[in-house]
Amino acid sequence: MNAAIIGQMAISGALMGLVYALIAYGFQLTYATSKSINFGQGELVMVSAFFSLTLTNLGLSQHWGLGLSYGLMVPGGLIFGAIMGLVVERAGVRLALEQKSEGWILLSIILGLFFFSAAENIWGRDDRPFPTPIPEEPFHVLGLAIGPREVAVAVGVLGIMGLIELLKRKTLLGKAFEAVSADRDAAELMGISATRTVMLSYGLSGSVAALAGILVSPITTVGPTMASAIILKAFSVAVVAGLDSGFGVVLVGMFLGALESLASFYLGSGWREAPGLVLLILALALRPTGVFGKATIRKV
Amino acid sequence: MLLVEDLHAGYGASEVLTGTTLAVKPGTVVALIGANGAGKTTTMRAISGGIHPTKGRVVLDGKEVQGLDASAIARLGLAHSPEGRKVFGPLSVEDNLLLGAYSRLPRFLGYRAKASADLDRVYDLFPKLRERSGQAAGTLSGGEQQMLAIGRALMARPKVMLLDEPSMGLAPVIVQEVFRTISRLKAEGITLLLVEQFAKSALEVADYAYVMERGRIAVEGTPAELSRNERVIAAYLG
Amino acid sequence: MKRILLLRGAELVVFGLLAMIPLWVVNPYALGLLTLLAIYGILLIGLDVTVGYLGQVNLAHVAFLGLGAYTAGLVVTKLGLGMAPALLAALAVGLLLGGLLALPALRLEGPQFALATLSFSALSTTALNELEGLTGGAQGLSLNRPPIFGQVLTPPLFYWLCMALLAVVWMLMRNLLASQWGRAFEALRDSPIATDAMGVGTYRHKVAAFALGSGLGGLAGGLYAFNFQYLQPQSFTYDLMIILLLGVVLGGRKSLWGAFVGASVIVLLPNLLSNRLLFQVFSGLGFAAALAAGLQGLYKKTTRPFQALAPVVAMGILVVGGLFVPNTEDWRKAIFSLMLFSVVVGLPEGLMGFLAIFLAKLFRVPHAPLPEPADIDAVLPLRPSDGTPLLVIDDLKRYFGGVKAVDGLTMTVRSGSIHGLIGPNGSGKSTVVNVISGLYTPTDGTIALRGVVLPSGSLFRVAQAGVARTFQNLQLFGELTAMENILVALKGVYQSSLPMVLFGLARGEERRAQAEALALLELIGLRDQALTKAKDLTYGAQRFLEIARALARKPDLLILDEPAAGLAHPDMLQQIAIIQKIHQRGVSIILIEHHMDVVSELCDMVTVLDGGRIIAEGTPEEVKRHPKVVEAYLGQPPEPQLDGGPAPQPA
Repeated sequence: MNAAIIGQMAISGALMGLVYALIAYGFQLTYATSKSINFGQGELVMVSAFFSLTLTNLGLSQHWGLGLSYGLMVPGGLIFGAIMGLVVERAGVRLALEQKSEGWILLSIILGLFFFSAAENIWGRDDRPFPTPIPEEPFHVLGLAIGPREVAVAVGVLGIMGLIELLKRKTLLGKAFEAVSADRDAAELMGISATRTVMLSYGLSGSVAALAGILVSPITTVGPTMASAIILKAFSVAVVAGLDSGFGVVLVGMFLGALESLASFYLGSGWREAPGLVLLILALALRPTGVFGKATIRKV
Repeated sequence: MLLVEDLHAGYGASEVLTGTTLAVKPGTVVALIGANGAGKTTTMRAISGGIHPTKGRVVLDGKEVQGLDASAIARLGLAHSPEGRKVFGPLSVEDNLLLGAYSRLPRFLGYRAKASADLDRVYDLFPKLRERSGQAAGTLSGGEQQMLAIGRALMARPKVMLLDEPSMGLAPVIVQEVFRTISRLKAEGITLLLVEQFAKSALEVADYAYVMERGRIAVEGTPAELSRNERVIAAYLG
Repeated sequence: MKRILLLRGAELVVFGLLAMIPLWVVNPYALGLLTLLAIYGILLIGLDVTVGYLGQVNLAHVAFLGLGAYTAGLVVTKLGLGMAPALLAALAVGLLLGGLLALPALRLEGPQFALATLSFSALSTTALNELEGLTGGAQGLSLNRPPIFGQVLTPPLFYWLCMALLAVVWMLMRNLLASQWGRAFEALRDSPIATDAMGVGTYRHKVAAFALGSGLGGLAGGLYAFNFQYLQPQSFTYDLMIILLLGVVLGGRKSLWGAFVGASVIVLLPNLLSNRLLFQVFSGLGFAAALAAGLQGLYKKTTRPFQALAPVVAMGILVVGGLFVPNTEDWRKAIFSLMLFSVVVGLPEGLMGFLAIFLAKLFRVPHAPLPEPADIDAVLPLRPSDGTPLLVIDDLKRYFGGVKAVDGLTMTVRSGSIHGLIGPNGSGKSTVVNVISGLYTPTDGTIALRGVVLPSGSLFRVAQAGVARTFQNLQLFGELTAMENILVALKGVYQSSLPMVLFGLARGEERRAQAEALALLELIGLRDQALTKAKDLTYGAQRFLEIARALARKPDLLILDEPAAGLAHPDMLQQIAIIQKIHQRGVSIILIEHHMDVVSELCDMVTVLDGGRIIAEGTPEEVKRHPKVVEAYLGQPPEPQLDGGPAPQPA
């Protein structure tokens, strides 16, 4: 009995953990090209979810059915996320990187705050349901109840990560991406524009954030604060796994998801956030480059 | 093919180049020699766009390119094999070479086929690289990395190639091999600007040479002329 | 003296005026705001220690405010103690938890540090919410303002208490920041590696600074609790943290006055937002300022287009948005973010930074006169060079993965000698130096100085043991003056304890330190540049200064890592002369150098490395003729003559 409950909690937690993994993967994308991440990524998740909700509710669902309008909304949401990512890159990151300062940390926080306030006023402060054609009733495998929406999360997360990894490994553009990450100046000498590569990474990272929002909204509902807890755990996953291992974030994301679901069961739902935060501080203290990250050598 | 006029450039407040002027004619090898810190590498970087010159002109094949980003200048036909080689360590040897031809290849698929002729040419020039084509570039020895850096620059089919300190940190035997390669490329008609601290070897392959001192050209001439110049002999060939 | 009088005068006037306010202002609302100003002043001074002096984005300060507030509240409500113990407990909790967080977090930099502090904040909010038995959870915690020393605190009295504490904090911080400590904070932001190598102890200074800042946050939290007399976990969240950062950045980093200005802005902001007319006037002024500054920057080409235009756009949105938005209160986060954005992009040095430049132009207060240089014999006593073994390296190995950078090195450096270390690039010279100086931990082998094994893997501890070094790629403290660079490293002069420093009782040794620093500057010929910032020195002078800074450690062994790299010929001659002068004083030196002529001129003994192993050792003349050296390093000796076009390729 007890084992079944633990298994149940662990599995549904692990599936949710894939959302953290996806957002963390978005951090890795920008970190690879520019050694920077968007501290306002949570707001990007939230704003994109709201935008997608608006697209779904445009009235098309009455005429075309939910399935079709959902299908049309997803690309719209992804494009919106990409545009927001580009805005962050242009307004918050580029200048600081040119000046080799860490101003981008503060600026990306500030931009996030602006998006938050804008969303609050445009879409309201209330949480709203997100319609989806995917049913809610769980199906049973080996005695475990599994929600189709959670499966959709898993499929979406692994699908897009697979696609981007394919892009990175199989196309010349992907190799250029890695070249910028390995040696920005040398990449420039090959005719690869580092600025455009960084823009591309921020665009992709924005899309990834948008997809995370679209996938998670049917489960959590949409509201201005929907991502504030998720993003902290995504940070944890990114740091614990290291900022350069796509495989690592999936593992750590699922682990953390399972852990917190157990923590909220045994310690009370308020402590849900605690394992991620403790894990993050511990990981930073013990292995700052992450469990799956590469160690660096100090040079003078 | 490449013309540099009254070039001024530096890092922050300190000006390293104080009016460098030089020219590279099509199909010639030009050497740039001088003491450590004279500004040779800075000249190369100012030409290829790694730093923006504060004054002066750089003309590549009739187009003014000073102030453009390095990637834009590279797309106009300049290949710069930088000091310290700077190969992309985590990427394979073949990927390094393919990226050398980045501006000529399709971005997504089919790039390998389009580049196969150039790849073969580089592999013929450096058979070692063919053997190691799947290996991560960072695991190559210094000499092999230098071959890769030269090969990567050749992949661009550049109008002008800049080669900065190809002998740096290499054993003399390897250095000789590097210079044999340069002679061979010269025979094939490459246009090359070569920076080298081994002045003697550089003069042996060059058609023309410039000697840099404190940010500007102090002496220039054919290798034969320079080899007779007392000052050059005392400072660089002695 | 005049400069000091001016600064102290301004402080006295401002605090005097602030102290007198309750005598004629009886409006409780205004007095409440002023009380809050004092509390936020303390809070921001604490935050400025990490954000300004350490240069790190600290997102945990709000947590210390909250923890301090709850500590004070609990001390009063649960333990029934008075206000003084409550405030002390709040301060102590801040110091303690700040230190505990700093121990892991300050191993990190930049984004990772920001993430660690952010997590701490979230964790602290979770704890305050969930420990319901103690904190009352989301219900909040009510408390009364107890009397202090038997005196019931009316609003004016509480105001005076807060102001008095702000004044004390201000004075202590000013003394601390003007001391060796403050200089160390600045130095370690420019080059943490160099502060360690100069024996300053980067890590412990950072931890101390963070704990201090957090302690002030805790103290401010205690006052906060007694001001509002009601606490809720959600008061201390991310939103407030951003406002605090706005205060520090807008006011101006690394400035007590900046923290004060920032605190004033934070206190006044809510009023600004609730009054529409005031908001429009204010945003209009902001827009005009951004426009003027942007145009000036573009015209003079001092700023990039983005830097000039982005604040104008942001303030423009603020002005236009203000006309259409029904209620500015609803948009307060957006308004904060637009303001903060404009400041961070357009005025990175903040209002006080800007004003300081302006005031400096207006008053032109000269620097206090410098003392006469001390006698160099007293600073760097002549030592006998007896030729006994000083540094003994035995079978040293350092591998990086599969690469054997140093592979079994055994060598001895004799006291009073200049020992050259040469070899091709990648031969392991730099690795040897980095292992000796403690940057790398050796894979195997020992290094002993005067028979005592050197600590391994810690720049700081090796520096303490008497080894000083310079760096191939300069690691000066760019924002500090030439003299301050030396003062940071100076050994044996600063001995006052921290309390003495805090109460400003350690000024005498500052003069002595300056005299010693000037003597060292005179040695390298830079005495007249003592007050020039290191980053503004010529490249050659920067190289000389690194040597003088290393000498300030009064080291037993000095390691010079390519001191002539990139030097033009005249500078190189001067560098050689400097090294000879040092040598004559009996300082033992390891010299890594590429220029064979420099090596020949200076070295008593030369070790040649290739592939991490020694291939030759001897006097410069012996080494130059050694066949292996010729083969691996020097190359073939030039042929007698070389004319008539390209010679045939050697096989």
